[in-house]
Amino acid sequence: MADFDAIVVGSGMSGGMSAKELTERGLKVLLLERGPEIIPERDYTDHLTPWQTPNLDSVAQHEIAEHYPRQYGGVAYAIKESTKHFWVKDSDHPYEEADGTSYDWLRGYHTAGRSIMWSRQTYRLSDLDFEANKKEGVAIDWPVRYSDIKPWYEKVEQFIGVSGASEGLPQLPDSIFQPAFELTDAEKALKQGVENTFPDRNVIAARIAHLTDATDEQKSLGRSNCQARNHCHKGCSFKAYFSSLNATLPAAKRTNNLTIVHNAIVESLDYDPEQNKVTGVRVIDSEDNSRVTYKARVVFLNASTIASAMILLQSKSSSFPAGLANSSDQVGRNLMDHVSGANASGILSGYDNMKVYGRRPSGGIYIPRYSNLDGRDRPYSRGFGFQGGASPLGNEGGRIPGIGREFKEAHRAPSPWRIGIGAFGEQLPNPENRVTLHSEKKDKWGLPLALFNVTYGSNEYRMLEAASEDAVEMLRAAGCTNITATPVSLTKPGNRIHEMGSARMGRDPKSSVLNSWCQSHEVSNLFVTDGSFMASAGCQNPSLTYMAFSARAAHYAADLVAEGVF
Amino acid sequence: MKTRREFIQGLIVSVGGVAALSACDGEGYINATSSEDVIRFYGESEWQLVEKLADLIIPTTETVGASDVNVVGYLDGLMLGWANEETQAKHRLALKKISAYLSEASNGNFLSASLKGSEDALTQLDTEAFSDSNDWSGYRDFKSYVTSAYFATEKGAIEELKWVAIPGRWDPSVELT
Repeated sequence: MADFDAIVVGSGMSGGMSAKELTERGLKVLLLERGPEIIPERDYTDHLTPWQTPNLDSVAQHEIAEHYPRQYGGVAYAIKESTKHFWVKDSDHPYEEADGTSYDWLRGYHTAGRSIMWSRQTYRLSDLDFEANKKEGVAIDWPVRYSDIKPWYEKVEQFIGVSGASEGLPQLPDSIFQPAFELTDAEKALKQGVENTFPDRNVIAARIAHLTDATDEQKSLGRSNCQARNHCHKGCSFKAYFSSLNATLPAAKRTNNLTIVHNAIVESLDYDPEQNKVTGVRVIDSEDNSRVTYKARVVFLNASTIASAMILLQSKSSSFPAGLANSSDQVGRNLMDHVSGANASGILSGYDNMKVYGRRPSGGIYIPRYSNLDGRDRPYSRGFGFQGGASPLGNEGGRIPGIGREFKEAHRAPSPWRIGIGAFGEQLPNPENRVTLHSEKKDKWGLPLALFNVTYGSNEYRMLEAASEDAVEMLRAAGCTNITATPVSLTKPGNRIHEMGSARMGRDPKSSVLNSWCQSHEVSNLFVTDGSFMASAGCQNPSLTYMAFSARAAHYAADLVAEGVF
Repeated sequence: MKTRREFIQGLIVSVGGVAALSACDGEGYINATSSEDVIRFYGESEWQLVEKLADLIIPTTETVGASDVNVVGYLDGLMLGWANEETQAKHRLALKKISAYLSEASNGNFLSASLKGSEDALTQLDTEAFSDSNDWSGYRDFKSYVTSAYFATEKGAIEELKWVAIPGRWDPSVELT
């Protein structure tokens, strides 16, 4: 007898959406979250003023060295004294890397996971992405096309709220938008310069999951428009940006069909060979190490790409000696991220008499992919987009000459504007890039540590070199001076926090883990709808795609439950 | 008359952020020391030096200066609460070097020099520190600490930086008047 209709493992970006859609379809859902509960009234810190955060809001150096060396090394910009509780302590959650490799596994274990700390850039994939593997003979073909997922993008966008502007670009389909954050004058100059000089390139407003014209449904969840504070990494008491905690989980809760259990680390899934189904989820209480097994008719893994793969690998049985649903040996393989490390900036004069009001959240501009749109026209395959923005040089934090009244006034004086852009490139799938279970080392709950073996291929290096040159060209076209491009230095795999691909979808069970519904080929009541299903990475920030596939899979599973299949 | 805190709370409620209310409970704090504190990072002469330097870099004008908002105490707290031993040692070394330079530039005693004499000596050091190819990174770091600490105080942020807790809107194009 099942305890629940469905169990969702993980409460982050995709788990929240799975839980929302399943509960709204009437299923009784148990949501398992491995970390503690986040209570916005207690744990969000967005109300703190600069003078209420000690030490310039910096985490003590000895504390970083002891507890956050990897997390801080990866995202120093986001780990502050006021936000460190949203990030795992490396001292509690270690991992291993194969010799000669390096990986950034950047995480938050708590209600809503990384959906609290994400940077909210929100873009659709297109058929350029869904067809790429097939056209190039790389990895395996996606079993879906844009038309399959388009209605689900629309459904998710209407719910979460995305600010942006319609552009009609085939490689970056428009979303259903709320009003965009308008570009600054300097960004408009960049747009004009780039688009006049390079007709195939566009500079558009960044598309971000912030409310700028909240709908009645969003207001009914206590959400309101963005207040332009840019405190987003601290949580948002206005619930203006999308997170599970701000949107999907409250929506799921109000159905009265949701049960959430925190501090619940999933050890493995129970498999019944007679039914050929998952029958239970084995859980360790992170606080007291007690163990319990929950039963359900359907299981959704949304623990994040790496954790979901590890749960499958840990779920060994005589039927699946290499891990549950892993007869293809693809679980844990094809681990992808996006790659950055090509950045440039320049000074734009002529706007010294202008300033901004408010603090725009997340990025200002986006330059969608423009290379290899119609076949291969570059010395690399796939492509990259640029994220960036322009702002007055303004306060340099004291690193300008002078003392006394003049120095003080210099911080208020008109100043030129600096434009900066950085590339986000597509990493190709490679089965040798993988996460496995460490054969000896365990965590403090006795579970194997993750062992990463991920490197970039030559395509990523060629791509980023080209991106760096392009960035300089575009800043020059905008009329920038003092253009500087940092030497190309690829970000560590994992550093963009867009990990994906560890249980890819495909048509052939011999070469893929999931079918087009994110459903296991081999175990029909098992779904994996976090980034694991991705067959290629695109170059767009992926959270919207994870949520759209989660919503689609949830409805498919709910249909099967209604039909009595499970 | 509403306090600023009460005003912010009211604004949050008015735009729907009820969840923030209890988060506003409790007073904020600054991790800063005072000259009377028993446990301090700076010794007496260091405290005097940092206090004087901070006030020369950011003096009281129409708006508050470094001494008005206890920048020296903020930096003392920063070194106690944030810096590791390596950073502390580097900071102390920088102060020593700064002190030695300024002492020589002000006929032996920078701390008791006149305002004009102190300003001249520090201007000389500052010019050198921001010229090409020199090893005054310790001074530049110190100046950055002073400025960041000043803007992180309530008066520094509000009066000088015009920091607003809840802008409420984004305007990308505001003409300076």
